[in-house]
Amino acid sequence: MSVLDELVAGALEDQRDRARVTSLDELKAMAASAPAPMDAKRWLRRDDGVPVIAEIKRASPSKGRLADIDDPASLARAYERGGAAAISVLTEGRRFLGALDDLDAVRAAVGVPVLRKDFITTDYQIWEARAHGADIVLLIVAALDDDALGRLLALTHELGMTALVETHTREEIERAVAAGAHVIGINARDLKNLRVDVGRYAALADGLPDDVIKVAESGVFGETEVEDYARAGADAVLVGEGVATAEDHELAVERLVNAGIKVKASQAQPLGTHHGPYYGRFGGRYVPEALVTALDELERVYEDAKRDPEFHKELARLNKQYVGRPSPLTEAPRFAERLRERTGLDARVFLKREDLNHTGAHKINNAIGQALLVKRMGKTRVIAETGAGQHGVATATVCAMLGLKCRIYMGQIDARRQALNVARMRMLGAEVVEVTLGDRILKDAINEALRDWVTNVKDTHYLLGTVAGPHPFPEMVRDFQKVIGEEAKEQLRDWYGIDHPDAICACVGGGSNAIGIMNAFLDDPRVNLYGYEAGGDGPESGRHAIRFAPGTGELGMFQGAKSYLLENDEGQTLDTYSISAGLDYASVGPEHAWLKEIGRVNYSWATDGEAMSAFRDLCETEGIIPAIESSHAVAGAYKAAADLKAKGYEHPVMIVNISGRGDKDMNTAGKWFGYLTDEQSKALEANGAQGDNA
Amino acid sequence: MRETIEIIENGDGFVADVTETAATGPVQPLGISHRPSPCRRLFAEYKAQDMPAFIGYLPFGFPDTDLSLEALRTMVDNGTDIVEIGLPYSDPVMDGPVIQAASQIALRNGERIAGVFRAVETVANAGGVPLIMSYWNLIFHYGVERFATDFANAGGAGLITPDLIPDEAGEWIEASDRHGLDRIFLVSPDSTDARLRVVARNTRGFVYAAARMGVTGERSTLDDSSRELVERTRAAGAENVCVGIGVSTPAQGASVGRYADGVIVGSALVHTLLDEHGDVRDPVQGISALANTTAALAEAIHGCRR
Repeated sequence: MSVLDELVAGALEDQRDRARVTSLDELKAMAASAPAPMDAKRWLRRDDGVPVIAEIKRASPSKGRLADIDDPASLARAYERGGAAAISVLTEGRRFLGALDDLDAVRAAVGVPVLRKDFITTDYQIWEARAHGADIVLLIVAALDDDALGRLLALTHELGMTALVETHTREEIERAVAAGAHVIGINARDLKNLRVDVGRYAALADGLPDDVIKVAESGVFGETEVEDYARAGADAVLVGEGVATAEDHELAVERLVNAGIKVKASQAQPLGTHHGPYYGRFGGRYVPEALVTALDELERVYEDAKRDPEFHKELARLNKQYVGRPSPLTEAPRFAERLRERTGLDARVFLKREDLNHTGAHKINNAIGQALLVKRMGKTRVIAETGAGQHGVATATVCAMLGLKCRIYMGQIDARRQALNVARMRMLGAEVVEVTLGDRILKDAINEALRDWVTNVKDTHYLLGTVAGPHPFPEMVRDFQKVIGEEAKEQLRDWYGIDHPDAICACVGGGSNAIGIMNAFLDDPRVNLYGYEAGGDGPESGRHAIRFAPGTGELGMFQGAKSYLLENDEGQTLDTYSISAGLDYASVGPEHAWLKEIGRVNYSWATDGEAMSAFRDLCETEGIIPAIESSHAVAGAYKAAADLKAKGYEHPVMIVNISGRGDKDMNTAGKWFGYLTDEQSKALEANGAQGDNA
Repeated sequence: MRETIEIIENGDGFVADVTETAATGPVQPLGISHRPSPCRRLFAEYKAQDMPAFIGYLPFGFPDTDLSLEALRTMVDNGTDIVEIGLPYSDPVMDGPVIQAASQIALRNGERIAGVFRAVETVANAGGVPLIMSYWNLIFHYGVERFATDFANAGGAGLITPDLIPDEAGEWIEASDRHGLDRIFLVSPDSTDARLRVVARNTRGFVYAAARMGVTGERSTLDDSSRELVERTRAAGAENVCVGIGVSTPAQGASVGRYADGVIVGSALVHTLLDEHGDVRDPVQGISALANTTAALAEAIHGCRR
């Protein structure tokens, strides 16, 4: 006899004993005067959370006694305060030590639906559940043949209750659906590691009608399982031991409820207006508590500014009168011709000219937006990090314009590579601090900026330059950069009479210019999106900044967010390398990580060599000198063209985002192409401006 | 083989899983551990004597693995009650120059995370309460559940997580509940009362109150913000509140110990193993300096209310 058979037989015997005391007719009379059943289905599925069914559980057959529950009503109230969508009450007395008295006590104590959990095989037990005020009953497919299942289900529905139909196999699920179940419990755990087996869950739940509510019933203990199940598609979860044995029952339920809310919010669409802190599994706030108050304040002030027409007016005015926006969308026919020669694809290519902005790159879009927020917050000091120097220059510029005190942190190696930008920042009145700690590149500059911020957060704003870091930075920086794509969309239509592009190419370091040009097109599936990381000497060389290719980045937390990260086998951050300082970063914005995971953006890389060759191509064909960062996007255009061709496009329209101009890179380029005399080359080497951070 | 249905522990479905054979039952997951919090027990004992605890920090693997084990033992032998063993990290944003330098030295000398459990055993065997302080990516990368298992097996008491706030700590809260480990979250002088409540509610063991805004490091003066923070944190529901960051001398330790449940000293101890140029000192001299500094701090802190 299996354990299940034994439990069913015991429950039946106990039921017969009760029937001798209370007849079925008496039960029916009790049911008629019981409080009307609640429609539990409305409680068990929602768009903004994962309902938690919390269980009053004293014991289990294999684990024995779990918790002394003297007062089930007060436990149920604690669950309800914690946000439980329903309370499950075990009424089996032999092995689970439950009783119908528990059900009565809980029913009287809470206002949410109550589930009677027992080994139900008879009509009597269903009537009994209703008579004691249950809204939901449990039916176990493995314990019932098709006739019994159908009959009990029909009676449950007739009495206005909901049945949670528990299944374990594909076959049982099919039987449950055929019997007309509306709410199906699915168990999917990997018995080897006891984790939720997302693959098995998906295999079990696959093909279920949309109107069936899926409840994860096994192995839910804490937030990890709620998150795993919710990401696998479960609508609700049932949890027993994890809440019944917790020290603080209310808090334990609350944590699970919050985990469900987090998962649902992290998947919200449309993509173009998705809110942080979570982007799928990515994002969040992995920061010292000391920064939370400042991040909360920033979020509040930003939300407030977003609703303020004056803020938008001022931002638009500065964008137009100071930055010089809109930046043009320039057709590049001679480059398109070279693309055709190289790939055989006859494309029309347009360049979004962020290089023509004041200060020579897209960075100013975000710097101005955040600087206006600094004014709103009443802070007086701004700090920022910079890699290539573009963001540092943009920040120093807006600080000069608005009269804010400014300090820029820059890795010593980057500062040498970009000596001219250091001079520009100093001319603009900023204090430039060369960071000599760590690897002396962008990430080390960010570390120092974070240390400064933790210390001086009262009067200081950290003007982060990319869509990385803790919430709200990824969302806020995206919002300040999305003007790039919005303009491009309009210009393509108004200037060139083209409805939409077929492809967009951008380079991805932290990812702000890429998000900026892509955001307006994220929800338009006709537009293929391509992001190009810094390939350095190639993914196998170990000298690169590719986070997304197989065998490169891993899931990790870095400088405030969970995303892909280049780390060694100990979890220590790896050195990165690229000829372009602006793409030389160990992690990448969390929204990009999500867009990669859901397959919306196609990420690849361009090596130093490919980027420099594209750099020259654009110079020669269009008279436009792109930043080396942007040259990765130009190089990517060749790769995207090959992909588009393979997809069957014949005359696609492509937009390449030229995120910045290349004047700052002439030392590196001059050396790369041998346009400098030995003497000039030596002079640059002495200065460290060799375009290599080795 | 005929499929048999097995009840699995913690399966909140009645019949939780189908296994191929009932002969070898499935492995059972841990439930919530009700092992008493090691730190809480220590504080209860010390409170009965009206005495604050002395918590000392040193990075594991600094200056090298063997010496760091000796240094940790020295700390316990000279009066450290709770030892905060730091895991060196490439990007320690909450640390000032001294601990950054020590971490880099440890990493250069081949520190490996798997070795830290020996340090935990060393502290436990010497009679101290072993905590690990780690930036979260290291634990996440090792595997949260795996780390909790290895750490608990080594006799570990809990983790201090300088860049993990309770809001992001779901996996760690679950693992620490299952293994009965303490969760030490931080608060800082500008934390709002609402934040203090979030931290107090999710903490197990004690709350780590930063004496000032900023990163770790020695300071010649301490302002009053930490006293107020301790009071506010207690009012927010924290049972035990310890103060660290910027506490470096016996006099400072004594003044903090009068109102805090514990005093945390880091950089000043690390400093004893470095010379004036920031290089590693001769080991014999270093350990002896560490012993003297530890003993002086322990005496001042333990005796400050008498």
